[in-house]
Amino acid sequence: MTYALLITVFVISTCGLVYELIAGTIASYLLGDSITQFSTVIGVYLFSMGVGSFLSKYIEKNIALTFVQVELLIGLIGGASATLLFLMFNHIDNFRILLYSLVAIIGILVGLEIPLLMRILQQRLDFKDLVSQIFTFDYVGALLASLLFPLLLVPYLGLMRTSFLFGLFNLGVALWTIHLFKDELPWRNSLRSTAFILIVVLVSGFAFSDKLMGIAEAATYQDPVIYSTTTPYQRIVLTGNSKDLRLFLNGNLQFSSRDEYRYHEALIHPAMASLNQPQDVLVLGGGDGLAVREILKYPSVRSITLVDLDKAMTDLFKSQEVLTRLNQNSLNNSKVKVIIDDAFVWLRSTSQRFDMAVIDFPDPSNYSLGKLYSDTFYRALKKVMKPAGMVVVQSTSPFYAKNSFWCVDKTLASVGFNTTPYHAYVPAFGDWGYVIGSLSPFKAATQASYPAGLRYVNSETVTQMLCFAPDMLPTVTSVNKLNNQSLVHLFESEWSEYVDAH
Amino acid sequence: MSTPISRSTFLKTLAALGLSAVAAKLLAQLKLSSNVLDLFHQSNYFAPKFTCRLLGPSQKVGHMLRGDLPTGPVKETKKTTVTIIGGGIAGLSAAWWLKKEGLSDFVILDLEPAVGGNSRSGKNQISAYPWGAHYVPIPNKESLYVRQLFEELKIIQGYAAGGEAIYDELMLCHQPQDRLFKDGAFHDGLVPKRGLQKQEEDDISRFFEKMIAFRQAQGSDGQPAFAIPIALSSSDKQFTELDKITMAQWLKNNNFATKPLLWYVDYCCRDDYGSTAAFVSAWAGIHYFAGRRGTAANSEPNAVLTWPQGNGFLVEQLKVPLGNNIQLNALVTNIKKADGKLVTTYLNHESNQFAAITSDFVVLATPRFVANKLLAKSSGQTSASANLAAGNSHKNALAAAHAPASTPSYAPTYAPWIVANISLKNLPDGQGVLPAWDNVSYYSPSLGYVVANHQEITTRHKPTVITYYFPLSQQEPKASRQALYKASPEQWSKTIVEDLEKMHPGIANEIISIDLWPWGHGMVRPSVGEIWGESRQKMKEPKGNIFFAHSDMSGISNFEEAQYHGVEAAKIILAKQT
Ligand SMILES: Cc1cc2nc3c(=O)[nH]c(=O)nc-3n(C[C@H](O)[C@H](O)[C@H](O)COP(=O)(O)OP(=O)(O)OC[C@H]3O[C@@H](n4cnc5c(N)ncnc54)[C@H](O)[C@@H]3O)c2cc1C
Repeated sequence: MTYALLITVFVISTCGLVYELIAGTIASYLLGDSITQFSTVIGVYLFSMGVGSFLSKYIEKNIALTFVQVELLIGLIGGASATLLFLMFNHIDNFRILLYSLVAIIGILVGLEIPLLMRILQQRLDFKDLVSQIFTFDYVGALLASLLFPLLLVPYLGLMRTSFLFGLFNLGVALWTIHLFKDELPWRNSLRSTAFILIVVLVSGFAFSDKLMGIAEAATYQDPVIYSTTTPYQRIVLTGNSKDLRLFLNGNLQFSSRDEYRYHEALIHPAMASLNQPQDVLVLGGGDGLAVREILKYPSVRSITLVDLDKAMTDLFKSQEVLTRLNQNSLNNSKVKVIIDDAFVWLRSTSQRFDMAVIDFPDPSNYSLGKLYSDTFYRALKKVMKPAGMVVVQSTSPFYAKNSFWCVDKTLASVGFNTTPYHAYVPAFGDWGYVIGSLSPFKAATQASYPAGLRYVNSETVTQMLCFAPDMLPTVTSVNKLNNQSLVHLFESEWSEYVDAH
Repeated sequence: MSTPISRSTFLKTLAALGLSAVAAKLLAQLKLSSNVLDLFHQSNYFAPKFTCRLLGPSQKVGHMLRGDLPTGPVKETKKTTVTIIGGGIAGLSAAWWLKKEGLSDFVILDLEPAVGGNSRSGKNQISAYPWGAHYVPIPNKESLYVRQLFEELKIIQGYAAGGEAIYDELMLCHQPQDRLFKDGAFHDGLVPKRGLQKQEEDDISRFFEKMIAFRQAQGSDGQPAFAIPIALSSSDKQFTELDKITMAQWLKNNNFATKPLLWYVDYCCRDDYGSTAAFVSAWAGIHYFAGRRGTAANSEPNAVLTWPQGNGFLVEQLKVPLGNNIQLNALVTNIKKADGKLVTTYLNHESNQFAAITSDFVVLATPRFVANKLLAKSSGQTSASANLAAGNSHKNALAAAHAPASTPSYAPTYAPWIVANISLKNLPDGQGVLPAWDNVSYYSPSLGYVVANHQEITTRHKPTVITYYFPLSQQEPKASRQALYKASPEQWSKTIVEDLEKMHPGIANEIISIDLWPWGHGMVRPSVGEIWGESRQKMKEPKGNIFFAHSDMSGISNFEEAQYHGVEAAKIILAKQT
């Protein structure tokens, strides 16, 4: 029996360390900054273990029973911990409270394990041997866990399955202990059946962990997911309820049907209305057809060329009924030509010329997107513009990322555009910025030039849009080039500042 | 009931638990073991799932070059004004200059099925990629030929008001340019900077201060201490003395002893010269840092120009106007003088027929060890040697005094390299900063890899080609060369994948194919005394109307040197011709 109990020490210490590693890893995944996450998780965990050890002295009778109960609890909580953390991440305001409570609970329970076992073993071993053997097995178990975790468990099982698996080990220990102490334990049968029920729970968790991961993703979105697909370029998710339709690309909100009109009216009309009879319009990005919808409000337009990378995206917005209702079937309009290509590559190869170009790319959050905001890109853009042409670029938020915003402005100016920066308030995004680049000075349109029926833009709102408060002015400026990617650096630092603060 | 467990039981328990119980048994219970084993198998690069091919310069012809050059009856003889032997950068640059100056009556002979030499490139469905040279730093003021070429090719698009060149930004290396794998993660830049001790940081900054001083230094002759091409460098003793010690010795003399700095300097020597700091001369070692003074209106100083196919881009551009002037698969076996003209004999190793070209001038733009062989052969044939010597009698006599009768005096040594182009389904990010153009490991004897499609302007997630560079600098060239050719392609792939796995665990699973290119004589090695010693000066001397043009003549190997010698040879010929 002694031998059996020492193996138990080994198993539980492996499990204990694995839970700690799981919590640390998930915290780093979800919150970033792995050093902070790991050291705080380890700290809380060790401290809680101390608390557990301390509390063990209040357990006077029936030590084996308490030990079994502790094992059952660790099995359940530890085993479900990864799933719990993933699923709850988007549902609770303060994830850290959940994280540290979970770590603390597991820590306290694990802290109870060894002292209890020592007391069980104390009648069977000399104190000297007891201490030496218990701790030997404890530390060897820790070593095994710390090796298995990065080399086998995370790569091949993933975090959710790993945590279920080790939960099962704890339950196994519980069952074994019940078996070893079958003559002394009260409520043997109910303990045993609890263990079996929990085993069924964890095994199903293990088996369905892919599904659970899917739910965890769905939980990222407030509303039911009504459509989702993964294309070679991105993950497209559409969520909706009776009032609001939202599009997410790679988890980032692209629009909310409640206020997208603000974003798109502001993107199109200040420039479009100021042009004299624009005929040929280019749209880069914007495969949702919402910018095209606004452009089609100008009768002078005879062609719209939309270049988007992702065919799945434009197909979706050509065919799905809820979406064609939203974009007023713009992508199926006979004036619209959809080209599936890389914008930069296409731009350098086209011989067409345009009166207006709308640049609606995702934010410059990585180097390949950063290239689409470079001076080289804008130079290629300038070449496809007619002499009186105008471009407009969505340029992130002048409030959250003011230096990024002004970097776009400066970059456009550096290739010879007259720039007119402006911004609009879009509730789903916050204060959002655009820059008009024109080859002759920009003059805002008179009210009569705006199409009828706009809900947000008119000559007065445009006047407001042109005005920047002092807190939106840049503190550093630079031109974004392929060989410095300064915009990506600015964007990264500004956005992470904002994320950290919240 | 106290039963202390004996040591052996303990070990048994441990083994039983650690291995069978925990891993196999439980995983087996969960019917996972087969999956896990499968995964192990997939990641097992000892049984590669990818294709692996050995490419590289024609080995058959290489053999001919090493042994006795073949001879045979000449089928046809053509006539031309200039014969350029070797279509590397030097040969192509000679042609570029001749054509520019109105002399189009020339032939370029190259033994390979394509021109380019060490700057050749390849292409697959994913990307074009280099087989050797892959970048050129933005040129210095004095690098006139390079600037002129770059203007013609619109790599330089114009000049800003301040006089600085504006470069095509699609060709300036995009950010992020380089990253270093050290202490388990990638860091921005190649100079170690994270986690250094004070002394190490001080050493590094003191080193760079010295290099900047060298960069700005001028000799008593008014020339820059370190110029590109090196022919324009000052011959002031205070600098050329540096050629008499090794780089490692110079570091020691200047009390540089901390590891991160020594690693960095050694890396740079291996990168540029294929040899270690313990071997290359201090002058060459310092030239790497102090030679580059290029500035641009639209980039940081010392930026580099690069293309997916590396300097293969420049080869393609240089080749454009030369369509009919180039004769490929032509192994030159002999140059002799007859009736006041030079007769170049070559073997077309495809048709297996010999042909000859009679010309007034020859530009010998092959590596020096090949040139030596061709000349030794010629001098072995009495009449030819006499004729050759006649053009330059007293200098040849000098050369002869230094060397055995039939071997020319100048015999540089060469660093062997292996280059691999590896197609990947995905490029693993690795810990730390994102993939850069140049990715180097602090722990590897290789130089890491360059991402061939780094300069692409697409946002598509595409498979990638990485070009892996490995100068075999750990042994003497001869031993390395033997090792290079002895190992099978599978063995080389294994070595390379193991090396990459240290930077990117799991990369083996991403590999689609590995193509290998061994360079037996990749780069000339700037050993002590090579650059400023007598023999290099002598070997520049033409032999009659045979003019030498190859980067070997600089003692270091790069685009600027190769081009310089090509253009200089063309200039002399043009001058002689009129
Ligand atoms: C792995 C590697 C990486 C490099 N990276 C760079 C880099 O990034 N940047 C840089 O500037 N430089 C680099 N270099 C240096 C490179 O050698 C030079 O840039 C340049 O290409 C040298 O040109 P070359 O004309 O002097 O010589 P070579 O390229 O050696 O040309 C000689 C030509 O002669 C031909 N030839 C030889 N013998 C005969 C014969 N008997 N008959 C007919 N033809 C013959 C050969 O086929 C070859 O085409 C690199 C070199 C190597 C090996």
